[in-house]
Amino acid sequence: MTLPPRPLRIATACLLALAIAGLIALVLWSILAAATDAAATSRIDIPHLLRMTSIQAGLTTVLSLLVGTAVAWSLNRLRFPGRDLLVAFFASAIVTPGMVVAFGLLAIWGRNGWINRGAEAVLGFPLGNPAYGLGGILFAHVILDGAFAARIILARLDAIPAARLKTGQSLALSAWQRFTLIDWPALRGTLPGLGAIIFLLAFTSFPIVLLLGGGPANQTLEVAIYAAVRQDFDLAGAVRLALTQIAVCSAVILAASALAPVPTAFGSSPATTWHDGSASRLLQWLVLATATLCFGLPLLSVLMDGLGAGLGSLLAQPSFWWSLLTSLLIGSASALLTLLLALALALGRGATGSPPLRTLLGIPAYAYLAVPAVVLSLGFFLLVRDLGLAPAAAAPAVVILANSLLALPFAMATLAPPLEAIAKTRGKLIRSLGLGGWRQFFLVELPLIGKDLGVMLALAFCFSLGDLGVIALFGTQDFQTLPLLMFRSLGAYRNNDAGAIAAILLIGTIIAFVGLPRLAERIARAAR
Amino acid sequence: MTILVHTTHLALAVLFGLAASPALAQTAPALTIYTYDGFAAEWGPGPQLAEGFEAQCGGCTVEFIAADSSIGALRRVQLEGATTPADLVVGLDVATAGEARATGLFADHTLELANLALPEPWTDPQFVPVDYAHFAFVYDTDRTATPPASFEELIALPDDFKIVIQDPRSATPGLGLVLWIKAAYGDRAPEIWAGLKPHILAVTRDWSESYNLFLTGEADMALSYTTSPAYHIVDEDDHTIKAALFDEGHIVQVEVAGMLASTDQPELARQFLAYLASPAAQAIIPTTNWMFPVVDLGADLNPAFGTLPQPAKTLTISDTDLEANRAAWIDEMLAAIQ
Repeated sequence: MTLPPRPLRIATACLLALAIAGLIALVLWSILAAATDAAATSRIDIPHLLRMTSIQAGLTTVLSLLVGTAVAWSLNRLRFPGRDLLVAFFASAIVTPGMVVAFGLLAIWGRNGWINRGAEAVLGFPLGNPAYGLGGILFAHVILDGAFAARIILARLDAIPAARLKTGQSLALSAWQRFTLIDWPALRGTLPGLGAIIFLLAFTSFPIVLLLGGGPANQTLEVAIYAAVRQDFDLAGAVRLALTQIAVCSAVILAASALAPVPTAFGSSPATTWHDGSASRLLQWLVLATATLCFGLPLLSVLMDGLGAGLGSLLAQPSFWWSLLTSLLIGSASALLTLLLALALALGRGATGSPPLRTLLGIPAYAYLAVPAVVLSLGFFLLVRDLGLAPAAAAPAVVILANSLLALPFAMATLAPPLEAIAKTRGKLIRSLGLGGWRQFFLVELPLIGKDLGVMLALAFCFSLGDLGVIALFGTQDFQTLPLLMFRSLGAYRNNDAGAIAAILLIGTIIAFVGLPRLAERIARAAR
Repeated sequence: MTILVHTTHLALAVLFGLAASPALAQTAPALTIYTYDGFAAEWGPGPQLAEGFEAQCGGCTVEFIAADSSIGALRRVQLEGATTPADLVVGLDVATAGEARATGLFADHTLELANLALPEPWTDPQFVPVDYAHFAFVYDTDRTATPPASFEELIALPDDFKIVIQDPRSATPGLGLVLWIKAAYGDRAPEIWAGLKPHILAVTRDWSESYNLFLTGEADMALSYTTSPAYHIVDEDDHTIKAALFDEGHIVQVEVAGMLASTDQPELARQFLAYLASPAAQAIIPTTNWMFPVVDLGADLNPAFGTLPQPAKTLTISDTDLEANRAAWIDEMLAAIQ
C-alpha cells in the first residue's frame, strides 16, 4: 500500500455502510411488524421461480457483456459526426422507464412492428413474434443492459492513455492484439461489478418480464413478491420471499465485490485515432450499424410516436409543467445525494488495504438492487407512518433518498475503479508531496475523475427521472413526476399524452448524458 | 393551484435542507379521499367532483390521494389502519368490496339510494355505486371484421388471433375475467382457460398496458369494457373500436365508494357519498371515467353512450361464493395458462 493512511475516509465509508444496512433492516422490520398474519403459507413455488429467474438473468448478463464490449470496442475506434449523440442515445436506454423501452421494442419487433410489416410487404408473410416469451425478455434486457455496459466499457477504453496507444501503434499491433494487450487489461476490472449489476437488474426485472413474458410462466421473484403484497396482502410471506431474493443477490454481490478491480490509467478521450485494418473497421461499422438498429430504432419509434399528435395538448397542461419541475428538482437532488454517497463509499474503499473491509464497503451500494422495490417502497411508507409523518410531507425526501440508493450501484461502478486505480498509481506521488486528504481529493483525484463524475451524475439524475417504483406509493395528484403522469395518462386512454411524455423523458436523458459529463469534466479541470 | 405551489414549496424545502413543515392545520373541514390514478387525474372525474362538492358543502375542501390502483388504495388504508387520514375510498369494485368489507374498516353509509339505474338492484349497506360497465373484449373493425361471439368461438380461431388480458392479482379487470369465465362455465373454467392459452399474447399488470398493446396493433382484442368505444367516439371521432358481445353473457363491474369507520367527518363523508350517487355528480362520470352512470341521466348522457351495444345477459357471482373461492379460482387460472 503506497497511499498515506486516510482514517477519516475509511470511517466515513464504514458509517455510511452501517447506516444503509440499518435502513434496510429497519425497512424489513417495519413490514414484519405490520404483518398481522404471520402464519399464512405461501402458494408460490420458490425453487421454480429461482431456477427460471437465474437462467434468464444469467443469459442476460453474458449476452449484455458480450454485446456491450463489442459496441464499446467499435465506438472507441470509430470517429464520425454525431458520435457523442449516439453514445448518449445508447446510454439513455438503461434509465428510460422499462415500459417505454418495451413499447418501443414492440413498435419495431412486435407482431405489428416495423420488421414484421416490412417482411409482410417484401416477403409476403410476417416473421413471427420474437418480442414475446423468454426471447422477448432477453432481447429487451440486452438492449437495456447491453447499451449500459457499452457506455461503461467505452469510458474505460476512452481513458487509455495516448502514450500507450502510440507505443502499441509503433509496434504495429493487429486489432486483436491491441484488444488483448491494451483494451482487455483496461476494461476487465470493470466487468465483475458490471456483470453483477446486470445480473441483479435482470434478476429483479419487473415491467418487462410482465409485459413481454407472455404470462405467469415467466415470473421473477420480484413479481411474486408484488403478488404477495398486493393480492394476498401476505406481508410476512412477502418478507420471506424478499429475504430469499436478498440472499441470492447478496451471494452475487459478494462474489463480484470480492474481486479486486484492475488498475487503469487515466486521461481524457484520446484525440489520436487508432488505425485498425480495413477488415476490422468493416466489422466495427457492422457492429455499430446492427447495434444502432437494435438499440436505436425502438427509442427512435418512441420519439416519433411522442413528438406527433400528443405534444401540443400535453404542453398546454399545467400539470405537465409542474410534473416536469418536480422531476427536475427530485432528479437534481438525488443526483447530488448519490454523488456524496458514492464518493464517500468509493474513497473509503480505495483507502483501505484490507480485503474483507473492501468487500464489506462494496456491498451497501447494491442494497437497493437486492431488495425488491415493492418491499422497499412499502417499508419506507410504513417507516414514515411509524415516525408519525404524513406520507405527503415525507414524499419528496423519501423519493430522493430511494432514488439515490437505486442509482448507487451504477455510481459506484462508474467511480470506484478509477478512484482505486488512483490510489494505487498515484499513491507515491501523493505521499511525496505530503498532501492531506482534502487536498489529495481536490488536486489529484477530482481532476482525474471529472468525466466519470459527469457520467455518474447523468446516470443518477436519469434514474430518478425515470423512476416509477417509489413514486407510485408516495405520489398524490399534486406530487407527481413525469413517469407517474405518463402512467396515469396510459390508464385514462390518453396514449398520445403518454407517448409525448415518454419522448420528452428520452430527450431529457439524452441531453443529460451528452451535457453532464462535459460540464463535470470542465468544472473538475477548472478546480485544479 | 395552491396545493401545487405547496408541493413545490415542499420539494424546495427538502432541497435546501429545511425541515419539511407538516401541512398546516385545516380550518375548514377537509375530506381526504383515496382512489386510483385515473380517477384523481386532471382529466379524470376527481377534480370536477371535488369542485362540485365544495360548491355545495359550504366551505369544506376535498383532496384526492391517488394510489396506482384501487387495490393499492385499499392496501394503503389497511396498512394505515385506524390512523388513516382517509375519510373515503373511491374506486373499489364489487369483486374487491367483499375483501374491503372483511377488513372491518368501513362504515355503513345509511343512505336511501332510490334513483339508481343499474343492471342489478343495489342492496349493499356499506358501498355506494359510482359507475358501471360490463367487461368485454374490444376489437378494431378495420382489423377484425367478424369478432368471436363467445369464448368457445374465440378458442376455435387460429392460434395467431391474439388477446391481451390482465393479471387477476393486480388489476380488477383481470379478476373480472376470472369471475366471468367462472360464472359462464363453472367447473369447465380450467378447460376454457387452457383453450385460451395459445391466444394469450400477454398477461399485463395493468389495464393500460393491455389496452396500449391492442391500440398499437399487437393484439387483436384486449380485455376492457363495453364503454371503452365511447372514449374513441367522443374524444377521437373514431368509430372503429367496438366491444365484442359474447353469447354466454357478461359480468358487470360496478365501481363503488365507501366511508371509513375511522373518519373524523362522518356526516361530511356521508354527504359526499350521497353527492356521488346524485345526477349532478353522475353527469361528470361518463366522459371522464368512461363508464356508465348509476342513475338515469336522460338527455344529459353523452349520445355516444346510447349507441353502445349492450350484452343481453348479465352474469353474477354471489359475494359469499366470491369470498370463499377467489384465491382458488385465481390459482386455477394461473395453473391452466402456465
